[in-house]
Amino acid sequence: MKDISQYIELFRTERALLDSHSQALLNAHRDEAAEAFMRLGFPSRKVERYRYTDVAEAFAPNYGLKLDTPPAAMNLPEVAATRYGTLANVQNDAITALNTMLVQDVIVIYVPADQRREHPVQLTNTLRSSVPLMQNRRLLIIAEAGAEVQVLQTDKAEGGQDFLTTQVTEIFVGEGAHVEFYDMEDSHSRCHRFHQVYAQVAAGGHLTHTTFTLASGLSRNQADVRLVGQGADALLLGCAITDGQQHVDNNTLIEHIAPGCTSRELYKYVVDQQSSGAFAGRVLVRQEAEKTDSIERNANLVCTEQARMWTQPMLEIYADDVKCSHGSTVGQLNNDALFYMRQRGISEAEARMLLKQAFASEVLAAIPLEALRQRLHVLVEKRFRNCEDCKLCQKNNR
Amino acid sequence: MLEIKNLHATVSGKEILKGIDLTIRPGEIHALMGQNGAGKSTLSNVLVGHPAYTVTEGSVTFNGKDLLALSPDERSHEGLFLSFQQPVEIPGVSMANFMRAALNAKRKYLGQEPLDASSFLKLMREKRKVVELDSKLANRSVNEGFSGGEKKRNEIYQMAILEPTMCILDETDSGLDVDALRIVAEGFNKLRTPETSAIVITHYQRLLDYIKPNFVHVLLGGRIVKSGGPELALEIEQRGFDWIKEEIES
Repeated sequence: MKDISQYIELFRTERALLDSHSQALLNAHRDEAAEAFMRLGFPSRKVERYRYTDVAEAFAPNYGLKLDTPPAAMNLPEVAATRYGTLANVQNDAITALNTMLVQDVIVIYVPADQRREHPVQLTNTLRSSVPLMQNRRLLIIAEAGAEVQVLQTDKAEGGQDFLTTQVTEIFVGEGAHVEFYDMEDSHSRCHRFHQVYAQVAAGGHLTHTTFTLASGLSRNQADVRLVGQGADALLLGCAITDGQQHVDNNTLIEHIAPGCTSRELYKYVVDQQSSGAFAGRVLVRQEAEKTDSIERNANLVCTEQARMWTQPMLEIYADDVKCSHGSTVGQLNNDALFYMRQRGISEAEARMLLKQAFASEVLAAIPLEALRQRLHVLVEKRFRNCEDCKLCQKNNR
Repeated sequence: MLEIKNLHATVSGKEILKGIDLTIRPGEIHALMGQNGAGKSTLSNVLVGHPAYTVTEGSVTFNGKDLLALSPDERSHEGLFLSFQQPVEIPGVSMANFMRAALNAKRKYLGQEPLDASSFLKLMREKRKVVELDSKLANRSVNEGFSGGEKKRNEIYQMAILEPTMCILDETDSGLDVDALRIVAEGFNKLRTPETSAIVITHYQRLLDYIKPNFVHVLLGGRIVKSGGPELALEIEQRGFDWIKEEIES
């Protein structure tokens, strides 16, 4: 297990700088988080939800923190204080505790009752540094009753430096509110990212949460969605395209607490070369959650002998009258289809590319935001075509 | 244009072709008949370069080139086309994307510029008429949810777009009703040029009523044991294959 002292030390020495460059709300939670982090330590593979990812490896480089940039706004809206940290599980999740301890900034997206954002809010994070860099960020999305908002977050990185990102996102979907959160990572093989999403959906509310990993080094995305009001509804979509030494781990928990809620979950992976993927999705139906309707599916394409995929769909039901299903598949490219295409004159590389793209297209087709759907079709094709040309991948593969 | 000499081939270590000799000149139609397991489909798979089959002896020359040295896609670019006995369904790959990739790969091989999107769609529209295919086809995934008849029509449709010079029709008549058979066979005839050659693999005379062969060959135990004109197919239709077996044994 990775020694946490490096990060505790970092926190102690930089505490004053952190505090002076952050909002009081963030500072108020640091001590409690540090205590929890010291108690929990970095999760080993014996911790159930972290069994598929070697956390220590990601935290090994000697990262620096960039502390001289003040946040965009020192004064947070009143509503942020009442919600910040109320969903995030600081006491039991070490990465959430670490993030809360070292957090540098928070973005708050607040949509008052019955207001509707006509255009999506787009957040673009671009990492650029000459030394190994760590960043710890927060996102707080609050949609009051009847509000509607779409948020798109994109992660990019420039230059071949080691980067480590921790992010905690808390999403509050009010009664009858509608929130779509799109998380897209298109970085490079030396980027490590841990993203913990905590969402709560009130009665009649809807949440779409999608995670697209086009390129990264190590990505671990965790999503905990609580359906707390009658008729709440969640759609979770994910797609990961991995190659080289890449590792992508999506870990989800959908908790049906109120009756009559619906959840749909579809994650697809295309795992190539020596890369690995993991998906663990737990659907927990509480005793009161009668008339739950839940479908969970994970499908994976493993392209080489060396590529690895772990999949673990879990269904835990304590109510009597529910309609739930879960399933997962792991397969290879269809050789008959490959040969059929080659007979028509399509090269092997192109045929493989078309089949991979076709496999991923099912998740893309399910994306509610049309402009993003079309854009992702292009990006996915580009990703499949370019990966052999990408200098960074090549450097790390050989 | 196609010259097969003493061709031996194995699949999973078992020898299926045991010395095939066959020469096909431009414009000729050769029918290949024979009982199940005689090696008809093996021959067509070997010619198009299916990776499951291994050539152990012999040679195949196509347009003066060593066909066996070419990859499956290069063989296609050279003008070889197989109408599959069981066309493969490819969910998620649209007919339009599939055919555009195939046609532009061929054009690149021949040193031509790729076709732009609008010219390509126009070409797809024109060629669709040859086999009376539905206009929604372009947006559908390759063969996915197609009926048996639609799949076979789709094979001929792909042929229309790629304009091969040497076509292998592997039991194109299987699973077709009389109307579908007529549409498929007439489609093929419309596409034929005086230079187009074909190997027509079939169990029945009814396909040969439409696509009239110049030569008929009988394959038995991995060899061509009897060759003749169109009348041989008619005789097989009436008498079966046993008399040919007896003829060889005696």
